[in-house]
Amino acid sequence: MTASQAGPATDATGATGPTGATGIAPVPRSRPVRAARRGPRAGLALAGAVVAVAVLAAVAPELLAPRPPDTIDPVNALAGPGGGHWLGTDQLGRDVLSRIVHGARTSLLIGFGATAFAVVVGSLLGVFAAAAGRAVDQILMRATDILLAFPGLMLSLVVVAVLGPGTANATLAIGASLLPGFLRLARGQALAIRDSDYVRAAVVIGRGRGSVFVRHLLPNAVPPLLVLATVNIGSAVIAGSTLSFLGLGPQPPSPEWGAMLAEGRDHLDTAWAAAVFPGLAITVTVVAVTVVGRALQRRIDGRDGHGR
Amino acid sequence: MSPRRHRTVIRRALLSAIALACVATGCGTGPGGGDGRDGRIVYAVDTQPDCLDPQISPYDVTAALGRNIFDSLVAMDADGRIGPWLATSWQISRDGRTYTFRLREGVRFHDGTALDAAAVKATLDHTVAPQTKSQYAAGLISMYTGATAVDARTVRVALSRPYAPLLQVLSTATFGIQSPTALRANRGRTCLKPVGSGPFVFAGWARNRRIELDRNPNYAWAPAGVDHQGPAWAAGLTVEFIPEAASRFGALSSGQVDVASAVPPSHTGRLRHADGFRLLRADQPGAPYTLLLNVNRAPLDDVRVRRALQRSVRLDALVKALYSGAYDRAWSTLTPATTGYAATTEGSWPYDPDEAARLLDEAGWTGRDEDGYRTKGGTRLTLHWPYMTSLMRDQRALLGQGIQAEAKRAGIDVRFTALEPGAYLEKALGRDADILAFSWNRAEPDIMRSYFDSGQTGDKGGSNAFGISDPRLDDWLREASATRDPARRAVLYAQAQSRVNQQVLALPVYAPATLVGAADRVRGVTFDVQAYPLFHDARLED
Amino acid sequence: MLPLRWFARRLLLAATVVFGAANAVFFAFRLLPGDPVRSMLGSTNPTPELVEQVRHELALDEPLAVQYGRFMRRLFTGDLGESFQLQQPVGEVIGDQLWPTVQLATAAFALALLAAVTLAVLTAHRPRVRRIVSTLELVAASTPAFWTGMLLLALLSFRWKWFPAMGGSGAVGLVLPAVTLAAGLVGVFSQVLREEMERALEQPFVLTARARGSGETAIRLRHALRHGLIPLVTLAGWAMGALFGGAVVVESVFSRQGLGQVTAGAVAGRDLPVVTGMVLVSALAFALINLAVDVLYRIVDPRIDERSIG
Repeated sequence: MTASQAGPATDATGATGPTGATGIAPVPRSRPVRAARRGPRAGLALAGAVVAVAVLAAVAPELLAPRPPDTIDPVNALAGPGGGHWLGTDQLGRDVLSRIVHGARTSLLIGFGATAFAVVVGSLLGVFAAAAGRAVDQILMRATDILLAFPGLMLSLVVVAVLGPGTANATLAIGASLLPGFLRLARGQALAIRDSDYVRAAVVIGRGRGSVFVRHLLPNAVPPLLVLATVNIGSAVIAGSTLSFLGLGPQPPSPEWGAMLAEGRDHLDTAWAAAVFPGLAITVTVVAVTVVGRALQRRIDGRDGHGR
Repeated sequence: MSPRRHRTVIRRALLSAIALACVATGCGTGPGGGDGRDGRIVYAVDTQPDCLDPQISPYDVTAALGRNIFDSLVAMDADGRIGPWLATSWQISRDGRTYTFRLREGVRFHDGTALDAAAVKATLDHTVAPQTKSQYAAGLISMYTGATAVDARTVRVALSRPYAPLLQVLSTATFGIQSPTALRANRGRTCLKPVGSGPFVFAGWARNRRIELDRNPNYAWAPAGVDHQGPAWAAGLTVEFIPEAASRFGALSSGQVDVASAVPPSHTGRLRHADGFRLLRADQPGAPYTLLLNVNRAPLDDVRVRRALQRSVRLDALVKALYSGAYDRAWSTLTPATTGYAATTEGSWPYDPDEAARLLDEAGWTGRDEDGYRTKGGTRLTLHWPYMTSLMRDQRALLGQGIQAEAKRAGIDVRFTALEPGAYLEKALGRDADILAFSWNRAEPDIMRSYFDSGQTGDKGGSNAFGISDPRLDDWLREASATRDPARRAVLYAQAQSRVNQQVLALPVYAPATLVGAADRVRGVTFDVQAYPLFHDARLED
Repeated sequence: MLPLRWFARRLLLAATVVFGAANAVFFAFRLLPGDPVRSMLGSTNPTPELVEQVRHELALDEPLAVQYGRFMRRLFTGDLGESFQLQQPVGEVIGDQLWPTVQLATAAFALALLAAVTLAVLTAHRPRVRRIVSTLELVAASTPAFWTGMLLLALLSFRWKWFPAMGGSGAVGLVLPAVTLAAGLVGVFSQVLREEMERALEQPFVLTARARGSGETAIRLRHALRHGLIPLVTLAGWAMGALFGGAVVVESVFSRQGLGQVTAGAVAGRDLPVVTGMVLVSALAFALINLAVDVLYRIVDPRIDERSIG
């Protein structure tokens, strides 16, 4: 198996392979049996709860946030945790907890949005590449190679340089950096199915090649894509907060965790709260999403293993 | 293995890995680290200049560093009076259009070239030459038509129209006189090889790291007001670029650098109370950080809406929260450190939410939408305020969010949006905005003309971004720029400042100050009238 | 060992990638909203004459095809143009800043590898330690580098003053940035290593070795580790991307000079020639690394003869 000869076998583990240079950590698959045996159920439950809270915060922040995120109180700026503010206040006297809760929407939106973009566009293009014949396939694969030639963050930066900063553009920028991995995986799956025995058999018995292809494509190609997606969401959240930290993400006053850290960093020694809790929010969320993602991966892989 | 031993192993492994990497890549110890400074002062700044030719670059950092490399024709003292420097005397023709300067004798540039009339002419011609691509200096002397060397020590400067602030302009670092030999030899590369006659000689520039300046051993022509005549005390100045405020401050407090510029206001309290350090502070002259309001389109074409905005922001508390008392809130479009500042403006437009609400009701913005913003005829009261991230020093992005939140309480939806430079300038020049904000450091009240004269619109290189056209302001500001009578100018500028506030053509926010942190071992760092630090009198003590 | 035709094809592929990247970036930047000339003239308000003069000097007033031709011609002679912001040839800018980034990346890579090897050797097939360590790895991989850097700086530099606050100078100044950058890689490296080692530890040759009476440490270091290191080669391309992307963040948090700092500044300031140069350099580096990995893999046959190791 060489680094870039993209056969289906390589592509199935595309994210883990050498070409997973999308700026996203290639997460190696743990072998299902062993992992399942060891998987700490309590940890998974906790992670699930964290994800649920994060999603609730993103969907209905008013339920969790004690105050509006953008109400300023200059007299009580940079207050420590305690008193009227559980997690303290920032330089403008805004409640840090409320801003973290409201920030979940933007941060998760970028994480899920970028991944969804990569999954949808990647699958469509990947299947198209597999189905449309050699010329199209070659062009698409070379284009993917070009995308892969950029370090993930570099690609995002270039996209932001072209489109300008903002939530939507940052999502697109990160989605673009995730795209090649999904495209390759989808293409690999599609190729494998196209050349598989049952599709050939279907053709032999006179059924339409296309319809069989499509009918087998969905149930077989979707699970691996979902696996790749779940393990990538966490990285996408980190990438989003990084763009934000650099001032290229969502624009004020919409609270975002990376931007909050950028604002708070000069005050770490006097008012640590504003520069610590948003970071904790990122780490805890990403850990939880990854744990849930891996559990999902094990389930799908397990089923996958039996299914073939 | 116990966990403790694991950790030790890991730590050792980490250090040896770094050591290995260093052997492989040869990391060395750069200058500025530790001892052995040989009397050089290490000075940390936040921005690297784009160019060291003061006639090309528009940036403060270039002027601030250039002030130690270049001398100007004349010098302005703290009270705004012009005194001799490279020119010992001058005469102004009756019509105000010809200035004749008599130059000091014995001045030599760093390359050995003697200062003469031709050198002054060369610098001025260089400023306005199209190939110089001056981004700021040329605009300041747009009335310059040429210079003639009457004799070696006398130069005559001709103007197309009288311009009273000319001497102030020529006193700035932006008009530091360059060696004509170097200008000729380095054509196209003057950015990288500044040659002046100042107390420090440019010695080298390691990109993104530092600029080295050495003492000029022949220096003997400092302007009045310095502590000592003759060469600078310090053997040299090492200017380190440390963009991160916290790192810059950390480098100062750990002794890696002796002086640090741009101390974050939030750190000034600690600096004042820390042993072994001092805070040096100089108020900046010119225009404070000011919100320019678009009076030529709805909704800010209605003075009541502008006034409502003016009265709904708790500027005192906001500026205090963000700048910890290091900067003062502004009351006027000139800062208190500027000649001609009208102290009468102070307190003239206090925070008054009831008045703001009354004004908005009166202007017809009586409806409320589901988000609590005021509406008129179904349209939300929305103000667009684009900004450029690169200009957002001093936590101005946060300040903008504060103003936005205050406006929201009054029912005004301020859209504070970051744009990249190209898109920003497109909006700004197309007047497709309601608010634009910036500050301008200049020790001359004539800066107001750039903001409010109807002839100084953005497309002509001025700062009157929204094309304010107020005949009275035009008259006053133009007369003030042509007259040399200080009393008359004071009256005119006071009138202009109060008119701007009354009409709410702009919303002044805070008056910036230069905040420099210095270790106690460094003595004698001073400031010029533009609040740029000077190192001629600075020395390291043991 | 290396079929010439195969090598030529790979080389051609690498060249296509770099050429494609050049095209992509050229056209992407012609689609930029706003006026690049005004962007490069910065925050001041230049006169219209100056804008037109600069536009003319940069040949941005010429037809797209002419600009494209010039761009490509220059590229083939290795001329990347001149930086808008730094008034310096782009090649020089990149050349100047390459070294500090290489230092940082090398140090971080060495650190990450060492840490990963240590962790993997100590934890493979030891479920209890493994669980704790992999949780820590997960936390490290889930923490954004800029935050790690902020915290390390605040505690170890500013508060306890163990490390210099100014990143630029010497080996000591390299420690915190390198640790920050390495933190993101350790998790991935050690997971890959551990997986492979555990697989190896279940192989017959390990049983044989055990039967021969080899100590556990010897088995882990001599047999399993060797086995585990090989797949890491395939991570080289990813690691380089992660190191370079991380450098953008780490260099700006630690005020270190380097390519990352230059890239971030160039993107923020719309210094198109520098961004273009960086894109091309990174595309070239990637193409070469991937080529090297492919060649390495051809040489080291992945189906290693177990007995020869054991």
